[in-house]
Amino acid sequence: MILNTILLAASPLVASTSGAPDILAVKVGKAETVSDGAIHHAVILIENGKIAVVGEDLPIERGIPVVDLGPDSVAMPGLVNAYSRQGMDSRGANDARPGQHASDELYPAYREYADLLEAGITTLGLYPAGNGIPGRAVAVRPQGSTPEEMILSDDAYLKVLLRSNSGSKKMLKDGFEEADKYIEKEKKAREKWEKAKEKEEKDKKKKKKDDDEGKSASPDDKKDKGVGPYVPPEMGDEAETFQQLRDRELRALIGIGSAGDYLHLIDAIGEEEFDWDLRIPVNRSLDIFHVKRELGSLGCRVVMEPTLSLHPNTRRQRNLPMELTEEGAKLVLVPRSDSVANHEAWLRHTGELVGAGLSRDVALRAMTQEPAELLGLGERLGSLSAGKDANILFFKSDPFEPGTKIQAVMLEGEIVSGKINQ
Amino acid sequence: MKHIKSTLTATLALFAFAAPVWPAPVSLDDDDEKDEEEAEPIPEEDKDSYFLLENAEIHTGTGEVLRDASLLAKNGKIVEIGYDLEVPGRDYYLDVPEEKVDFRVEILDAQGMRVYPGLVSISSSGLAGTSSDFRNSVNPFSQNMVLGLATGITTTGSGRSAVKLKRYISQEPPLPYDFDGIVLSDRTYSSMSYNSGSSKRSLREKLQRAREYLLAYRQWEVDVKEDKELKEPNKKGVDSTSLAVLKGETYARFRADDRGDLLAIAHIAQEYGFRPIIDGCREGWTVADELGRAGAMAIVTPRARRDKSESLVREGGSSIENAALLAEAGVPVAIVPASKGVSLDGIVGRDIMHLPVEVGFAIRGGLSEDQALASITTVPARMMGVSHRVGTLEVGKDCDLIVTDGDLLHYQTFVQYTVVDGQLVYDKEEELFFAHIRPRPESELAPEAKLDAGENPHEEGEGEDQDEGDGDGGEGDDD
Repeated sequence: MILNTILLAASPLVASTSGAPDILAVKVGKAETVSDGAIHHAVILIENGKIAVVGEDLPIERGIPVVDLGPDSVAMPGLVNAYSRQGMDSRGANDARPGQHASDELYPAYREYADLLEAGITTLGLYPAGNGIPGRAVAVRPQGSTPEEMILSDDAYLKVLLRSNSGSKKMLKDGFEEADKYIEKEKKAREKWEKAKEKEEKDKKKKKKDDDEGKSASPDDKKDKGVGPYVPPEMGDEAETFQQLRDRELRALIGIGSAGDYLHLIDAIGEEEFDWDLRIPVNRSLDIFHVKRELGSLGCRVVMEPTLSLHPNTRRQRNLPMELTEEGAKLVLVPRSDSVANHEAWLRHTGELVGAGLSRDVALRAMTQEPAELLGLGERLGSLSAGKDANILFFKSDPFEPGTKIQAVMLEGEIVSGKINQ
Repeated sequence: MKHIKSTLTATLALFAFAAPVWPAPVSLDDDDEKDEEEAEPIPEEDKDSYFLLENAEIHTGTGEVLRDASLLAKNGKIVEIGYDLEVPGRDYYLDVPEEKVDFRVEILDAQGMRVYPGLVSISSSGLAGTSSDFRNSVNPFSQNMVLGLATGITTTGSGRSAVKLKRYISQEPPLPYDFDGIVLSDRTYSSMSYNSGSSKRSLREKLQRAREYLLAYRQWEVDVKEDKELKEPNKKGVDSTSLAVLKGETYARFRADDRGDLLAIAHIAQEYGFRPIIDGCREGWTVADELGRAGAMAIVTPRARRDKSESLVREGGSSIENAALLAEAGVPVAIVPASKGVSLDGIVGRDIMHLPVEVGFAIRGGLSEDQALASITTVPARMMGVSHRVGTLEVGKDCDLIVTDGDLLHYQTFVQYTVVDGQLVYDKEEELFFAHIRPRPESELAPEAKLDAGENPHEEGEGEDQDEGDGDGGEGDDD
C-alpha cells in the first residue's frame, strides 16, 4: 500500500525534470511523529509542501531525490508557540474589545521572526494585549513580507483575562447577556418585519380586489414602495463574539493566575456552555495544584511555561505541568518569555520538565499538536503524518538532550534554516 | 488514642444501559420515562451531606459540657447533639445500591479531644481576602485563611461584613464553591464617631433629628388613618446611620478609649435609647458601672498598654483587669489582639493568630473562663447580628466547630481540626505549619520513631549506593 503511494507520488516528478524539486524523501534515524509515536529508520516523503507519507524503511522510487541524515538523526514536527506577543508592543487597552484582531498589529518586517524560525518555531499564535477581553488571536507562519502571506488563521482563539474581582466576573456574564439581548432584539425586528410584510400583502390583495371591483386606486402611494427584504439589526462586537462562543465557532483562552481565580471563573461561567482553555502563567509559587483534579476532569487545555515551581512558602519542588497532565488536562507549553533566547532554549527547558518526570510523549505533543489544536489548526499542523504541512525540524541527536542543535528547519516543504544535504 | 477520619463517600458507578427494554421506542409512556430518570446517577451537589463527630468532650458554648458525646450535622447545620447518633451508610441504609445513594458521610473520631464552637473574631484583616466584596474576591486557598482556621477562627468581622473562613476542599467528583454562602451579613454595624470636636457636636444633632423624624413618622402613622391625604414626614436632612441605630437595625459602633468620651457615649446612648459597641474602651474599667447601665458592649485588647495622662488626678490608663471589670458590670466583652492581621514579623503572639492567647491575658486579669470563651464566640457573634447562625453549638445552627487537643485557653493547646458548614477544612497534620509540633502519632508528617542504639539506620534502605557516609544522608535528593 505504502509502496504504491510512493510510486504514485513519484510519477509526476519524473516528468518534471527541471526546476526545484517539489518532491523529496528524507531518511532519518528516528521520526517523532507525535501522532503515531516514534518511527525508527523512518522515511519522510514530502511533496508540494505537504507530508505525503511517513513510514519505517520505505522503499523509495528511483528518481526521487533522497537525503539520508544518518542513523542518529531525529525529525520532529515544527514547534508551535500558540501564545506570544513576538513582534508586537506590550501596551494594551484596558477596555474589553472582543472584536479586535491581533492581526491588525502584525508587522511582517520584524527581524526576530527569522530568529524564531531558526529556533524551530514554524507557527506562532499572536494574541492581542490588554485586560478583560482584548480580542482575537492570529495564527501565523513567521515568514512572509505581507500580513496576508503570514496569516494562517485570523480567529485562532478569543483571549480573555479573568481575575478574582467583581468586574472581571461581571465581564463574562455581561458578554453573554449582550448576546441574549441581541437575540431578543433580532426576534422583535423580525416580528415587526413579518407584520409589515403581512400588512403589505393584505394591502396589495385589497388593492387588487378594489381594482377588480373597478374602484379607483388608493390615494396613499407611500405603501407602494414595499417593505423590502429582511435586514437583521446590527450586531455589536460583544454580542457577536459571545454568540460565536456559544455556537462553538470560536474558542476562548482564559487567563487565570491562581487556584482561587479558577473557582471564580467556574462561578462566573455558571450554566453557560462554550469551549475554553486556560492560560496559567507558571511562577515560583503557583497554587493551581489545589484544583488539579477539577482541571483534569474538565479535560481542557492548559497553556504553561516549562518551569518547575515551588510549593508555596517551601523549597519543595513541584512539576505542575506534569501534575496537571497526570490528572487528565491537556498541556500546551510555551517558551518562558517572548525573548529569542527563551525560544532557543525552549526544547531544553521542556527537557528539564521531562527530566523531572513529565512524560516525553506529552512534552512533544505539548509543543506541536496541542498548540496547533488550540489555534484551530490541528488538522493542518502539529504532527508528522500524511497530508499535513511539511513543517519539520531535523536534529543530529535527541531534541531534548542538552547541547543538541537544530540542523535544519523545514517550513511547508522548504528548508528555511540550516542544511540537510550534508 | 486513635483518631480515625474516614470518608464513606459513595462513588458513583457509571451507569451503562445494556439494551433498551422495548425493542422500538415508538412511543414511551410515562412509566418508561420515569424508569430512565431513576437510573440517572444522582448529581453530587444534590446529595445530602452528613458530618458526624464522635467520642468528644463537647463544649457547646452555652455552658454545657457533654463527655464522650457525638454531634451530627446535615447539609452544614447541626441536627443532633447527644449520644449514640446514627448516620446513613453505617448504621442504616446499608443495602442501598450505589447508584441510588443520595448521601455522603464524613465521620471524625475525636477520641480524647475537646470540641468548641468555631471562634468568631469581631475584626480581622486579610483572612478572607483584601477587597470588601468577598463574594467576588475571596481566595479560598490563601495561606492567611489556613492560618485563621488553624487559630480556630471560623467567622470573622471584616469591614462591615461578617465572613466565614471557608476553604475549598477538592473532592471527587468536584463540588462548586459556595461563594454566596461565605458572607453571613453585609451590614454588621453602623459606624458613629465621637472623638473630634465637630463630631461630638454633630452626633447629638444627628440623633436628635433622627428621633424627631421617628416621632413625627409614628404620629403620622396614627393620623393617616383618619386623614388619608396627610403627607409622610420629610426624610430630608435625616442621617440614615442614626436612623438605623435608633430603629435598632444595627448597633452603633464607636471608637473610644478616654474616660470622658466613654461617659459621654454612655449618656447619649441612654438618652436616645440604643446600645453602643465601644471599640477600644481602654479606660472602661474606671466607668464600668456607667457603661453597664447604658447597655454598652466593649471590644477590648487586654494587652494594650497606655499610662494615664499625668495631668489628671482621676484613675486612668490601661488595666489588665479591664475585661474582667467590664464583664462584672454587665458589659459584654469581645476580645481582639492588637494586630488584626496575620503578622509574621515583630514580637510573636500579638496578631490574630493568637486570639486565644490574647484571651488568656484577660483571664489573668480576672475574667472567668466562660466569659473568656464567650468573648471570642457568642459576644462577637451577637455584636455582628449573626448569633442565630454561629457562636455556639446548638441544634439548628451552622456546624462550625474546632477540635482541640486540650483546653482551648491553655497556651499549649493546638487546634487539630476545624470544621465549617459541616466540612473538614483544616487538619493540623495535613498542613505544613504546625504538624511537626506535638504531632499526632499516626501522622505522616510526624518525625520517624527513634531508633534503638546499635540499630543500623540504613538497613532498610536501598542497600548498594549507601557509601557516601552515614548519618543524615538519607533525606537528600539527587537533584
